[in-house]
Amino acid sequence: MVNKYDAIVIGGGHNGLVNAAYLARAGLKVLVLERRSVLGGASVTEEVFPGFKFSVFSYVVSLFRPEIVRDLNLPAHGLTILPLESTLTPLPNGDRLYRNGDHYRTMREIARFSPRDADIYEDYSHAMYFMAKAVKYILGIVPPNPSSLHPEDMNSLYRLAKHFLGLGEEQLFTLTRLMTMSSADFLERWFESEPLKGTMSASGIIGTFLGPRSPGSAYVLLHHYMGEIDGVFRSWGFSKGGTGGLSQSIAQAAQSFGAEIRTNATVAQVIVRHAKAAGIVLENGDEIFADKVISSLDPKQTFLNLLDPNQLPDDLVTAIRKFNTQGSSGKVNLALDALPQFACWPRPGPHLRGAISISPSVDYIERAFDQAKYGDFSHRPYIDIVIPSMIDPDMAPPGKHVLSCFVQYAPYHLQEGDWESRREEFGEAVVDTLAEYIPNIRDIILYRQVLSPWDIEQTVGLTEGNIFQGELSLWQLFFLRPAAGYARFRTPIRDYYQCGSGTHPGGGITGAPGRLAALEILKDWKQ
Amino acid sequence: MKSEGPGRKYEAIVIGAGHNGLVTAAYLAKAGYRTLVVERRPLLGGAAASEEIFPGFKVDTGSFDAGLFRPEILADLNLVNKDLEFIESPAIAFAPQPDSRSLTIWEDRARTQKELARFSQQDAHRYPDFLQLLEKMASLVASAMTLTPPTIPDYRSAELMPWLKVALKLKRLGKQEMMEFLRLLPMPVTDFLDEWFESPALKGLLGSVGVLGSMQGPRASGTAFMLLYQAIGGGTKGSRGRRSVRGGMGRLAEALADAARQKGADLRTGTGAAQIVVQSERAVGVLLETGEQIPARVIISNASPRHTFFDLVGADKLEVQFVREVKNIRYRGCLARLILALDGLPRFKAMTSETGEESQRLSSRVTICPDLDYLERAYDEAKYGSFSRQPYLDIAIPTILDPSLAPPGKHLMLINIQYAPYHLAEGDWTQQQEALGKAVIEALEAYAPGIRDLIIHSLVLTPLDLEKRFGLPEGCIFHGQMGLDQLLFMRPVPGYGRYRTPIENLFLCGAGTHPGGGVTGAPGYNAAREVIRDLKSRRDDR
Repeated sequence: MVNKYDAIVIGGGHNGLVNAAYLARAGLKVLVLERRSVLGGASVTEEVFPGFKFSVFSYVVSLFRPEIVRDLNLPAHGLTILPLESTLTPLPNGDRLYRNGDHYRTMREIARFSPRDADIYEDYSHAMYFMAKAVKYILGIVPPNPSSLHPEDMNSLYRLAKHFLGLGEEQLFTLTRLMTMSSADFLERWFESEPLKGTMSASGIIGTFLGPRSPGSAYVLLHHYMGEIDGVFRSWGFSKGGTGGLSQSIAQAAQSFGAEIRTNATVAQVIVRHAKAAGIVLENGDEIFADKVISSLDPKQTFLNLLDPNQLPDDLVTAIRKFNTQGSSGKVNLALDALPQFACWPRPGPHLRGAISISPSVDYIERAFDQAKYGDFSHRPYIDIVIPSMIDPDMAPPGKHVLSCFVQYAPYHLQEGDWESRREEFGEAVVDTLAEYIPNIRDIILYRQVLSPWDIEQTVGLTEGNIFQGELSLWQLFFLRPAAGYARFRTPIRDYYQCGSGTHPGGGITGAPGRLAALEILKDWKQ
Repeated sequence: MKSEGPGRKYEAIVIGAGHNGLVTAAYLAKAGYRTLVVERRPLLGGAAASEEIFPGFKVDTGSFDAGLFRPEILADLNLVNKDLEFIESPAIAFAPQPDSRSLTIWEDRARTQKELARFSQQDAHRYPDFLQLLEKMASLVASAMTLTPPTIPDYRSAELMPWLKVALKLKRLGKQEMMEFLRLLPMPVTDFLDEWFESPALKGLLGSVGVLGSMQGPRASGTAFMLLYQAIGGGTKGSRGRRSVRGGMGRLAEALADAARQKGADLRTGTGAAQIVVQSERAVGVLLETGEQIPARVIISNASPRHTFFDLVGADKLEVQFVREVKNIRYRGCLARLILALDGLPRFKAMTSETGEESQRLSSRVTICPDLDYLERAYDEAKYGSFSRQPYLDIAIPTILDPSLAPPGKHLMLINIQYAPYHLAEGDWTQQQEALGKAVIEALEAYAPGIRDLIIHSLVLTPLDLEKRFGLPEGCIFHGQMGLDQLLFMRPVPGYGRYRTPIENLFLCGAGTHPGGGVTGAPGYNAAREVIRDLKSRRDDR
């Protein structure tokens, strides 16, 4: 039995691709196996309707680690990020809140709702900038193990404590608040106007099963704040070619280092011999051997599907079963025959090149959340809209457009019925909501793609459609992600690793888990 | 400054004779410091007092549970004698269900398992392990209660030492349980209970404990911690029921007061403090409502941070940043109280000949909270500013085990109503008070038909009433919500978690400080220790 590869990476999502690229760059012979015919996992662009390219699932980039862009030289492989210039919050009464990079204009806009808010806006931005900087350190470290007395672990803990205690009072207190409060309460310490609070609190709920009034959502707010584009914190961008463009650039980088990528290759099981990973078995029965096997899939698949759980310690199996992965979001992608006209801003303008947030108030989002709690999708949901064709004309035929809606909430578990039968009803609710702000929307829809959490699960393999591979709650983060004692990218099976968003630092298109895991694997490789 | 009376000079003045203030006073007096306690109301105990609001009835108008009271204090002050007796029911909690079944948790584990089995065999089987976990975790929380939080981030090693003991205790649990504790701390009580149990009735009952007094639903992060907090004192039983004081909660206050008086402290009721006299950023005494001014070396306020800093000290004496922080303390009262004097014991539908032992069950924490969604829906209404039409009710009928509280054959029913938010979207509490009372009695009728006809007297204390009567800002029984961001070094405001204030010689000793609310005596106990420490170090300087 000759090992054909040094490493096999299961799953061609962005973290798997990053992981493969780093390993290949270090000289390993790497094979990536992707079930679908397209690469990227949930960061994928597909021509779902002829001529119209959808960023089917994820739709914006911001959190992608700049060190990965540099290390893998992604711009040379086609990565181009086009900044999203603004956020528009249309209001039910036809008014709107518009914020963009023009500092003074934004403050004047906010002042229309509250002069006090306008005054404090910059202070808030600064405070969050410094918070994101302070926490950035965490994004690049392997979580320490607080129960370990090993000198390396104790040292790591000590350095961590030192870092945070060194932040100084004000920042440390703000950080404590961000880790524990609800996004609404945190924001209410600063702001009073509803459209501003509503829109900002929405960052605290994206991808989670939390409402803006749920303690813990302020952490998610911070998490989404940690985005950097070209060194500018908290700017969001659109990848040329859609988020699939980002995945393609990583794939090409990996291939340029010698990695082999196979699509239409579904891994059924990891081969374990003498408590060590030895390779994988494909669905068709083919066996491929490698010294190391890395799963970029979510923790439930990594541990409970790709392995026989009997091979694992009970505490891990229990913890993974308990790991909260309930999806809460859906996606509606529209192919449009013409430009959408917003009631609050009917003429074409810069607002169409930014994000449009249906979040007129905190209560609006909270009520949407209330419905989901009891197993229904929100009938008036929170929607984060981008029009990719306005930023990258190649996404649609001339004069036509694609409109991407990220929608919350859509709980994976429905109290009544199922997603197969209620998908279109959900799509209707989204379009109904859009119609309240875009009067011409129904007239211009050529094609509608509706993706429920169930569809997300079925298509890209994210268990229960959770876009972060597991809820971003305090008890599922850092040294607890995905389980206590198994938060350092390794598993109880020697040479079997995990590198997806279900590991530190969690979800979003960051590439960080993929990279951190690769660095740990390389450490082990050298020994 | 005039000093009081012929030559009596005080070293310490405690403002407010709530249970924490009395604990502080007792410890200060015991340590030999001449102490005065001034209390606005005509009685002692604050929100842990007994009042004869209906003729012939001794009513615990505030807390009716002394189960969290620190045993160290009982021992140190030698409180348990013939005047102070705690009563516990053999039943911990009784949860009638809408379908007329009921679930009773007994002190007797086996008995509980038998009852649980009627709801779920699996739950009955898992229950003992759950209790064991609860006991271990709660005991960790308990050990942190009587410690002063370290200054963060600029701690001194001496401040950390006592906490190292807790850390060691945590480590000694073993890797798995240590991680489990860290994991549990921020969890919602729903997630925690869903991991253990399947029966909605059991989860509803246990989950309710995690939200009592908190303006959060059971799905909120931090509610599992509150369950642990409330479970303290359960000892080997794991969970605990209500612990009453024979003769009413007021007896606890009286016992504390006696302990203080025996060591030379003076206590004055009907004497409100109008102002804390501050000179050059130093507290030098208290100005009473009568105009009398009493100097002292240290002033300790049992009042809420809001009342202490805004009313007694004055925002003009404090830095802007500090004022802003105090202003932003989340109170958010969410509890109201209905007090009923009854012409007999109510008959619950869920009490059948099968269940029996009626009075035993009713002498426990009677809980109307059939499942977690019920509780979450009740919270939903409050979020948007109305009281819950289907509220969570936490009920005590203390007269069953202590008939001395009422005329013969009559009973008292004390009902905590959740949620009744202080901030209403429409109208105000003077307008809604009656509607609240009606809604609760209607809810009760569904579980105990005929209860309406038994009512001799009734009184509704809305959050506004709680605020006026007990000085609880926004009616918050904890002197500040106990969310994770308002605990430890963040309580009452960040940087002031050690009972001291920006005003030299002014301390806080109420629930607005660590560890928070409940009739624990811990804030008072900790504050006393800090005051004594400061006074001693000054004595040495002289």
